[in-house]
Amino acid sequence: MSGHDAHDTGGDWADNLRHALVERGVAEHRAAELLRDAEEVAVESGDSPVAVFGPATAYADQLARAMRTPGARLDPPPTAAPALRLTGVSKRYGRREVLRDVSLEVRAGEAVAVVGANGSGKSTLMAVCAGMIKPTTGRVERAAHVGYVPQHGGTADYLTPREHFDLFAAARGDSRRRGYATGDRLAASLGWRPKDGQPVGQLSGGTRQKLNVVLGEISRPDLLLLDEPYQGFDHGAYVDLWGQIDRWRETGTAVLLVTHMLSELHRVDRVVELAAPKEA
Amino acid sequence: MTDDNARLWLHGLLDLCLLGLLDQHRDYGLALAGRLETAGFGSLPGGTLYPALLRLETTGLVTASREPSPTGPPRKYFEITAAGRESLVARRQEWRRFSRRVDGVLGDLTEGAQP
Repeated sequence: MSGHDAHDTGGDWADNLRHALVERGVAEHRAAELLRDAEEVAVESGDSPVAVFGPATAYADQLARAMRTPGARLDPPPTAAPALRLTGVSKRYGRREVLRDVSLEVRAGEAVAVVGANGSGKSTLMAVCAGMIKPTTGRVERAAHVGYVPQHGGTADYLTPREHFDLFAAARGDSRRRGYATGDRLAASLGWRPKDGQPVGQLSGGTRQKLNVVLGEISRPDLLLLDEPYQGFDHGAYVDLWGQIDRWRETGTAVLLVTHMLSELHRVDRVVELAAPKEA
Repeated sequence: MTDDNARLWLHGLLDLCLLGLLDQHRDYGLALAGRLETAGFGSLPGGTLYPALLRLETTGLVTASREPSPTGPPRKYFEITAAGRESLVARRQEWRRFSRRVDGVLGDLTEGAQP
Protein backbone atom coordinates (compact mmCIF):
# COMPACT_ATOMS: atom_id res chain seq x y z
CA MET A 1 0.00 0.00 0.00
CA SER A 2 3.04 2.28 -0.08
CA GLY A 3 3.58 5.60 -1.85
CA HIS A 4 1.77 5.11 -5.15
CA ASP A 5 2.05 8.82 -5.92
CA ALA A 6 5.82 8.57 -6.18
CA HIS A 7 5.88 9.41 -9.87
CA ASP A 8 4.17 11.72 -12.33
CA THR A 9 0.58 11.02 -13.32
CA GLY A 10 0.35 7.53 -11.86
CA GLY A 11 -2.26 8.48 -9.24
CA ASP A 12 -5.37 8.03 -11.35
CA TRP A 13 -3.98 4.98 -13.02
CA ALA A 14 -3.22 3.45 -9.64
CA ASP A 15 -6.70 4.18 -8.30
CA ASN A 16 -8.32 2.87 -11.45
CA LEU A 17 -6.28 -0.32 -11.40
CA ARG A 18 -7.04 -1.07 -7.78
CA HIS A 19 -10.72 -0.29 -8.20
CA ALA A 20 -11.03 -2.41 -11.35
CA LEU A 21 -9.20 -5.35 -9.76
CA VAL A 22 -11.42 -5.32 -6.67
CA GLU A 23 -14.48 -4.96 -8.86
CA ARG A 24 -13.38 -8.12 -10.64
CA GLY A 25 -13.24 -10.09 -7.40
CA VAL A 26 -9.53 -9.73 -6.58
CA ALA A 27 -8.90 -9.44 -2.82
CA GLU A 28 -7.86 -5.96 -1.61
CA HIS A 29 -4.39 -7.04 -0.42
CA ARG A 30 -3.72 -8.89 -3.67
CA ALA A 31 -4.84 -5.86 -5.68
CA ALA A 32 -2.43 -3.71 -3.65
CA GLU A 33 0.43 -6.14 -4.39
CA LEU A 34 -0.32 -6.19 -8.10
CA LEU A 35 -0.41 -2.40 -8.13
CA ARG A 36 2.91 -2.20 -6.28
CA ASP A 37 4.49 -4.68 -8.76
CA ALA A 38 3.22 -2.64 -11.70
CA GLU A 39 4.51 0.61 -10.27
CA GLU A 40 7.93 -0.85 -9.60
CA VAL A 41 8.19 -2.10 -13.16
CA ALA A 42 7.10 1.31 -14.46
CA VAL A 43 9.72 3.09 -12.34
CA GLU A 44 12.48 0.78 -13.51
CA SER A 45 11.52 1.12 -17.16
CA GLY A 46 11.40 4.90 -16.74
CA ASP A 47 7.91 5.25 -18.19
CA SER A 48 4.42 5.98 -16.88
CA PRO A 49 2.26 2.97 -15.95
CA VAL A 50 -0.16 3.72 -18.76
CA ALA A 51 2.69 3.67 -21.29
CA VAL A 52 3.97 0.33 -19.98
CA PHE A 53 0.71 -1.51 -19.25
CA GLY A 54 -1.97 0.33 -21.19
CA PRO A 55 -5.25 1.57 -19.68
CA ALA A 56 -5.70 0.46 -16.05
CA THR A 57 -9.12 -1.12 -16.58
CA ALA A 58 -7.94 -3.22 -19.52
CA TYR A 59 -4.82 -4.30 -17.61
CA ALA A 60 -6.91 -5.20 -14.55
CA ASP A 61 -9.13 -7.31 -16.78
CA GLN A 62 -6.12 -9.26 -18.08
CA LEU A 63 -4.70 -9.75 -14.58
CA ALA A 64 -8.02 -10.84 -13.08
CA ARG A 65 -8.49 -13.31 -15.89
CA ALA A 66 -4.96 -14.66 -15.47
CA MET A 67 -5.69 -15.28 -11.79
CA ARG A 68 -8.79 -17.24 -12.63
CA THR A 69 -7.10 -19.54 -15.15
CA PRO A 70 -8.52 -22.91 -14.25
CA GLY A 71 -6.14 -25.79 -13.69
CA ALA A 72 -6.51 -28.98 -15.64
CA ARG A 73 -10.15 -30.00 -15.57
CA LEU A 74 -10.95 -33.19 -13.77
CA ASP A 75 -12.76 -35.65 -15.95
CA PRO A 76 -16.07 -36.66 -14.45
CA PRO A 77 -15.96 -40.22 -13.14
CA PRO A 78 -17.69 -42.49 -15.65
CA THR A 79 -19.84 -43.92 -12.88
CA ALA A 80 -21.29 -40.54 -11.93
CA ALA A 81 -25.01 -40.71 -11.36
CA PRO A 82 -27.26 -39.04 -13.91
CA ALA A 83 -28.62 -35.77 -12.52
CA LEU A 84 -31.09 -35.54 -15.37
CA ARG A 85 -32.52 -38.10 -17.75
CA LEU A 86 -35.15 -37.45 -20.42
CA THR A 87 -36.58 -40.41 -22.27
CA GLY A 88 -38.66 -39.89 -25.41
CA VAL A 89 -40.01 -36.50 -24.30
CA SER A 90 -42.53 -34.79 -26.60
CA LYS A 91 -44.59 -31.68 -26.07
CA ARG A 92 -47.62 -30.54 -28.04
CA TYR A 93 -49.78 -27.50 -27.72
CA GLY A 94 -52.95 -28.53 -29.51
CA ARG A 95 -51.79 -29.55 -32.99
CA ARG A 96 -48.49 -27.78 -32.69
CA GLU A 97 -45.61 -30.06 -31.78
CA VAL A 98 -42.91 -28.11 -29.91
CA LEU A 99 -40.67 -31.01 -28.89
CA ARG A 100 -40.46 -34.40 -30.52
CA ASP A 101 -38.94 -37.48 -28.95
CA VAL A 102 -36.09 -35.86 -27.07
CA SER A 103 -33.84 -38.14 -25.01
CA LEU A 104 -30.81 -36.90 -23.14
CA GLU A 105 -28.79 -37.55 -20.04
CA VAL A 106 -26.57 -35.26 -17.95
CA ARG A 107 -24.38 -36.81 -15.27
CA ALA A 108 -22.85 -35.15 -12.24
CA GLY A 109 -19.88 -33.02 -13.34
CA GLU A 110 -20.93 -32.87 -16.97
CA ALA A 111 -21.95 -29.89 -19.06
CA VAL A 112 -24.31 -30.50 -21.96
CA ALA A 113 -25.36 -27.84 -24.47
CA VAL A 114 -28.73 -27.61 -26.19
CA VAL A 115 -28.64 -25.97 -29.61
CA GLY A 116 -31.23 -25.48 -32.31
CA ALA A 117 -32.90 -22.90 -34.50
CA ASN A 118 -35.21 -20.22 -33.14
CA GLY A 119 -38.53 -21.89 -32.37
CA SER A 120 -37.03 -25.36 -32.03
CA GLY A 121 -38.26 -25.59 -28.44
CA LYS A 122 -35.06 -24.90 -26.47
CA SER A 123 -36.74 -22.87 -23.74
CA THR A 124 -39.66 -25.30 -23.59
CA LEU A 125 -37.18 -28.12 -23.11
CA MET A 126 -35.51 -26.26 -20.22
CA ALA A 127 -38.88 -25.62 -18.58
CA VAL A 128 -39.71 -29.33 -18.97
CA CYS A 129 -36.36 -30.22 -17.35
CA ALA A 130 -37.11 -27.80 -14.52
CA GLY A 131 -40.50 -29.42 -13.98
CA MET A 132 -42.41 -26.28 -14.83
CA ILE A 133 -44.03 -27.74 -17.93
CA LYS A 134 -45.38 -31.26 -18.12
CA PRO A 135 -44.39 -33.19 -21.23
CA THR A 136 -47.20 -34.63 -23.36
CA THR A 137 -45.39 -37.96 -23.54
CA GLY A 138 -42.11 -39.32 -22.24
CA ARG A 139 -40.32 -39.47 -18.92
CA VAL A 140 -38.30 -36.92 -16.95
CA GLU A 141 -36.08 -38.01 -14.05
CA ARG A 142 -34.06 -35.40 -12.20
CA ALA A 143 -31.95 -34.82 -9.11
CA ALA A 144 -33.56 -33.41 -5.96
CA HIS A 145 -31.95 -29.95 -6.04
CA VAL A 146 -32.43 -28.15 -9.31
CA GLY A 147 -31.35 -24.57 -10.08
CA TYR A 148 -33.15 -22.95 -13.00
CA VAL A 149 -31.97 -19.75 -14.64
CA PRO A 150 -34.73 -18.79 -17.07
CA GLN A 151 -34.20 -16.59 -20.10
CA HIS A 152 -36.63 -13.99 -18.80
CA GLY A 153 -38.03 -13.26 -15.38
CA GLY A 154 -37.29 -15.31 -12.31
CA THR A 155 -36.54 -12.17 -10.31
CA ALA A 156 -38.68 -9.56 -8.53
CA ASP A 157 -38.35 -5.98 -9.82
CA TYR A 158 -38.93 -4.27 -6.46
CA LEU A 159 -36.38 -6.26 -4.47
CA THR A 160 -32.64 -5.54 -4.46
CA PRO A 161 -30.07 -8.15 -5.56
CA ARG A 162 -29.06 -8.70 -1.91
CA GLU A 163 -32.68 -9.35 -0.95
CA HIS A 164 -32.73 -11.99 -3.68
CA PHE A 165 -29.55 -13.55 -2.24
CA ASP A 166 -31.28 -13.61 1.12
CA LEU A 167 -34.43 -15.27 -0.21
CA PHE A 168 -32.60 -17.93 -2.18
CA ALA A 169 -30.28 -18.73 0.75
CA ALA A 170 -33.30 -19.00 3.06
CA ALA A 171 -35.03 -21.38 0.65
CA ARG A 172 -31.97 -23.57 1.00
CA GLY A 173 -31.95 -23.23 4.81
CA ASP A 174 -28.76 -21.13 4.76
CA SER A 175 -28.14 -18.04 6.83
CA ARG A 176 -28.48 -14.54 5.41
CA ARG A 177 -24.77 -13.96 5.96
CA ARG A 178 -23.89 -17.00 3.91
CA GLY A 179 -26.27 -15.91 1.16
CA TYR A 180 -24.68 -12.45 1.01
CA ALA A 181 -21.13 -13.82 1.07
CA THR A 182 -21.78 -16.34 -1.71
CA GLY A 183 -23.80 -13.83 -3.71
CA ASP A 184 -21.21 -11.06 -3.49
CA ARG A 185 -18.32 -13.40 -4.30
CA LEU A 186 -19.95 -14.87 -7.38
CA ALA A 187 -21.22 -11.48 -8.55
CA ALA A 188 -17.66 -10.15 -8.34
CA SER A 189 -16.38 -13.08 -10.38
CA LEU A 190 -18.80 -11.99 -13.11
CA GLY A 191 -17.47 -8.43 -12.85
CA TRP A 192 -20.50 -7.09 -11.00
CA ARG A 193 -20.83 -5.38 -7.63
CA PRO A 194 -24.45 -5.15 -6.43
CA LYS A 195 -25.30 -1.69 -5.08
CA ASP A 196 -27.28 -1.42 -1.89
CA GLY A 197 -30.78 -0.09 -2.32
CA GLN A 198 -30.97 -0.51 -6.09
CA PRO A 199 -34.00 -2.57 -7.04
CA VAL A 200 -33.65 -5.23 -9.71
CA GLY A 201 -36.10 -3.34 -11.94
CA GLN A 202 -33.39 -0.70 -12.48
CA LEU A 203 -30.70 -3.16 -13.56
CA SER A 204 -29.68 -3.59 -17.18
CA GLY A 205 -30.66 -6.82 -18.93
CA GLY A 206 -27.10 -8.13 -18.73
CA THR A 207 -26.81 -7.44 -15.00
CA ARG A 208 -30.18 -9.09 -14.40
CA GLN A 209 -28.90 -12.21 -16.13
CA LYS A 210 -25.83 -12.13 -13.90
CA LEU A 211 -28.17 -11.97 -10.90
CA ASN A 212 -29.95 -15.03 -12.25
CA VAL A 213 -26.67 -16.91 -12.59
CA VAL A 214 -25.69 -15.95 -9.03
CA LEU A 215 -29.06 -17.15 -7.72
CA GLY A 216 -28.57 -20.43 -9.51
CA GLU A 217 -25.34 -20.87 -7.56
CA ILE A 218 -26.69 -19.81 -4.16
CA SER A 219 -29.21 -22.63 -4.31
CA ARG A 220 -26.24 -25.04 -4.77
CA PRO A 221 -28.11 -27.43 -7.03
CA ASP A 222 -27.14 -30.90 -8.24
CA LEU A 223 -28.47 -29.87 -11.61
CA LEU A 224 -28.22 -26.37 -13.02
CA LEU A 225 -30.35 -25.35 -16.00
CA LEU A 226 -29.13 -22.21 -17.80
CA ASP A 227 -31.25 -20.75 -20.57
CA GLU A 228 -29.02 -18.49 -22.73
CA PRO A 229 -27.36 -17.09 -19.62
CA TYR A 230 -25.06 -14.61 -21.37
CA GLN A 231 -27.62 -12.52 -23.18
CA GLY A 232 -26.41 -8.99 -22.67
CA PHE A 233 -23.17 -10.05 -21.00
CA ASP A 234 -20.16 -8.02 -21.95
CA HIS A 235 -17.27 -9.98 -23.35
CA GLY A 236 -15.27 -10.31 -20.13
CA ALA A 237 -18.19 -11.54 -18.05
CA TYR A 238 -19.13 -13.95 -20.78
CA VAL A 239 -15.68 -15.49 -20.71
CA ASP A 240 -15.90 -15.65 -16.93
CA LEU A 241 -19.21 -17.49 -17.10
CA TRP A 242 -17.47 -20.33 -18.90
CA GLY A 243 -14.88 -20.40 -16.12
CA GLN A 244 -17.73 -20.57 -13.63
CA ILE A 245 -19.33 -23.43 -15.57
CA ASP A 246 -15.99 -25.31 -15.38
CA ARG A 247 -15.94 -24.82 -11.60
CA TRP A 248 -19.50 -26.07 -11.24
CA ARG A 249 -18.53 -29.20 -13.11
CA GLU A 250 -15.48 -29.71 -10.96
CA THR A 251 -17.66 -29.68 -7.86
CA GLY A 252 -19.97 -32.28 -9.39
CA THR A 253 -22.83 -30.09 -10.53
CA ALA A 254 -24.48 -31.20 -13.75
CA VAL A 255 -25.02 -28.27 -16.14
CA LEU A 256 -27.49 -28.16 -19.02
CA LEU A 257 -27.36 -24.93 -20.98
CA VAL A 258 -29.12 -23.52 -23.97
CA THR A 259 -26.70 -21.65 -26.18
CA HIS A 260 -26.42 -19.94 -29.51
CA MET A 261 -22.67 -19.45 -29.04
CA LEU A 262 -21.74 -22.24 -31.40
CA SER A 263 -18.06 -21.33 -31.29
CA GLU A 264 -17.91 -22.40 -27.64
CA LEU A 265 -19.25 -25.91 -28.04
CA HIS A 266 -15.81 -27.44 -27.51
CA ARG A 267 -16.19 -26.47 -23.86
CA VAL A 268 -19.05 -28.86 -23.15
CA ASP A 269 -19.11 -32.64 -22.94
CA ARG A 270 -21.99 -33.21 -25.33
CA VAL A 271 -24.30 -31.29 -27.58
CA VAL A 272 -27.99 -32.00 -28.05
CA GLU A 273 -29.41 -30.56 -31.25
CA LEU A 274 -33.15 -29.95 -31.47
CA ALA A 275 -34.96 -30.30 -34.78
CA ALA A 276 -35.88 -27.08 -36.58
CA PRO A 277 -39.59 -26.22 -36.24
CA LYS A 278 -41.91 -27.76 -38.80
CA GLU A 279 -43.75 -25.37 -41.05
CA ALA A 280 -47.38 -25.41 -39.95
CA MET B 1 2.17 -6.59 -41.83
CA THR B 2 4.59 -9.39 -40.95
CA ASP B 3 5.02 -7.80 -37.51
CA ASP B 4 1.28 -8.10 -36.97
CA ASN B 5 1.39 -11.76 -37.93
CA ALA B 6 4.31 -12.41 -35.61
CA ARG B 7 2.47 -10.72 -32.75
CA LEU B 8 -0.60 -12.83 -33.39
CA TRP B 9 1.41 -16.05 -33.45
CA LEU B 10 3.42 -15.13 -30.38
CA HIS B 11 0.16 -14.44 -28.54
CA GLY B 12 -0.69 -18.14 -28.67
CA LEU B 13 2.85 -19.22 -27.84
CA LEU B 14 3.89 -16.62 -25.27
CA ASP B 15 3.40 -18.87 -22.23
CA LEU B 16 5.46 -21.58 -23.89
CA CYS B 17 8.25 -19.14 -24.88
CA LEU B 18 8.37 -17.73 -21.35
CA LEU B 19 8.69 -21.23 -19.92
CA GLY B 20 11.52 -21.86 -22.40
CA LEU B 21 13.37 -18.71 -21.34
CA LEU B 22 12.87 -19.42 -17.63
CA ASP B 23 14.09 -22.97 -18.15
CA GLN B 24 17.45 -21.45 -19.21
CA HIS B 25 17.62 -19.28 -16.11
CA ARG B 26 15.40 -17.39 -13.65
CA ASP B 27 14.71 -13.79 -14.55
CA TYR B 28 12.58 -10.72 -13.91
CA GLY B 29 9.92 -9.23 -16.18
CA LEU B 30 11.81 -6.45 -17.92
CA ALA B 31 14.79 -8.74 -18.59
CA LEU B 32 12.43 -11.36 -20.07
CA ALA B 33 10.96 -8.66 -22.33
CA GLY B 34 14.51 -7.81 -23.39
CA ARG B 35 15.34 -11.43 -24.14
CA LEU B 36 12.19 -11.78 -26.27
CA GLU B 37 13.16 -8.63 -28.14
CA THR B 38 16.69 -9.93 -28.74
CA ALA B 39 15.15 -13.16 -30.03
CA GLY B 40 13.42 -11.05 -32.70
CA PHE B 41 9.88 -10.80 -31.36
CA GLY B 42 9.88 -7.01 -31.10
CA SER B 43 8.99 -5.16 -27.94
CA LEU B 44 6.21 -6.82 -25.99
CA PRO B 45 3.77 -4.53 -24.13
CA GLY B 46 3.73 -4.93 -20.35
CA GLY B 47 -0.03 -5.39 -20.57
CA THR B 48 0.63 -8.66 -22.39
CA LEU B 49 3.77 -9.89 -20.63
CA TYR B 50 2.78 -9.53 -16.98
CA PRO B 51 -0.65 -11.17 -17.22
CA ALA B 52 1.07 -14.11 -18.96
CA LEU B 53 3.59 -14.38 -16.10
CA LEU B 54 0.76 -14.16 -13.58
CA ARG B 55 -1.08 -16.92 -15.44
CA LEU B 56 2.00 -19.15 -15.22
CA GLU B 57 2.28 -18.35 -11.52
CA THR B 58 -1.43 -19.04 -10.88
CA THR B 59 -1.20 -22.43 -12.55
CA GLY B 60 1.93 -23.32 -10.56
CA LEU B 61 4.28 -23.52 -13.55
CA VAL B 62 6.52 -20.76 -12.17
CA THR B 63 7.12 -19.20 -8.76
CA ALA B 64 7.78 -15.53 -8.15
CA SER B 65 9.87 -13.83 -5.49
CA ARG B 66 10.48 -10.16 -4.89
CA GLU B 67 14.11 -9.20 -4.42
CA PRO B 68 15.98 -5.95 -3.92
CA SER B 69 17.70 -4.57 -6.99
CA PRO B 70 21.03 -2.75 -6.96
CA THR B 71 19.83 -0.07 -9.36
CA GLY B 72 16.20 0.68 -8.54
CA PRO B 73 12.99 -0.61 -6.97
CA PRO B 74 12.68 -4.29 -6.00
CA ARG B 75 12.25 -6.77 -8.83
CA LYS B 76 9.99 -9.77 -9.10
CA TYR B 77 12.02 -12.79 -10.19
CA PHE B 78 10.34 -15.73 -11.87
CA GLU B 79 11.58 -19.29 -11.65
CA ILE B 80 10.29 -22.41 -13.40
CA THR B 81 8.91 -25.22 -11.18
CA ALA B 82 9.06 -28.99 -11.70
CA ALA B 83 5.48 -28.84 -13.02
CA GLY B 84 6.55 -26.02 -15.34
CA ARG B 85 9.40 -28.11 -16.72
CA GLU B 86 7.06 -31.04 -17.28
CA SER B 87 4.61 -28.79 -19.09
CA LEU B 88 7.44 -27.30 -21.17
CA VAL B 89 8.66 -30.71 -22.34
CA ALA B 90 5.16 -31.85 -23.32
CA ARG B 91 4.18 -28.63 -25.05
CA ARG B 92 7.49 -28.29 -26.85
CA GLN B 93 6.88 -31.70 -28.42
CA GLU B 94 3.35 -30.72 -29.38
CA TRP B 95 4.63 -27.52 -30.95
CA ARG B 96 7.32 -29.37 -32.96
CA ARG B 97 4.79 -31.84 -34.30
CA PHE B 98 2.41 -29.04 -35.17
CA SER B 99 5.00 -26.83 -36.88
CA ARG B 100 6.22 -29.80 -38.95
CA ARG B 101 2.65 -30.28 -40.15
CA VAL B 102 2.36 -26.62 -41.08
CA ASP B 103 5.68 -26.81 -42.94
CA GLY B 104 4.46 -29.94 -44.71
CA VAL B 105 1.40 -28.12 -45.97
CA LEU B 106 3.23 -24.93 -46.91
CA GLY B 107 5.86 -26.78 -48.92
CA ASP B 108 9.27 -25.59 -50.08
CA LEU B 109 10.68 -22.76 -47.99
CA THR B 110 12.36 -21.00 -50.95
CA GLU B 111 9.29 -21.03 -53.17
CA GLY B 112 7.59 -17.68 -53.51
CA ALA B 113 10.00 -16.03 -51.08
CA GLN B 114 9.90 -12.23 -51.12
CA PRO B 115 13.13 -10.33 -51.60
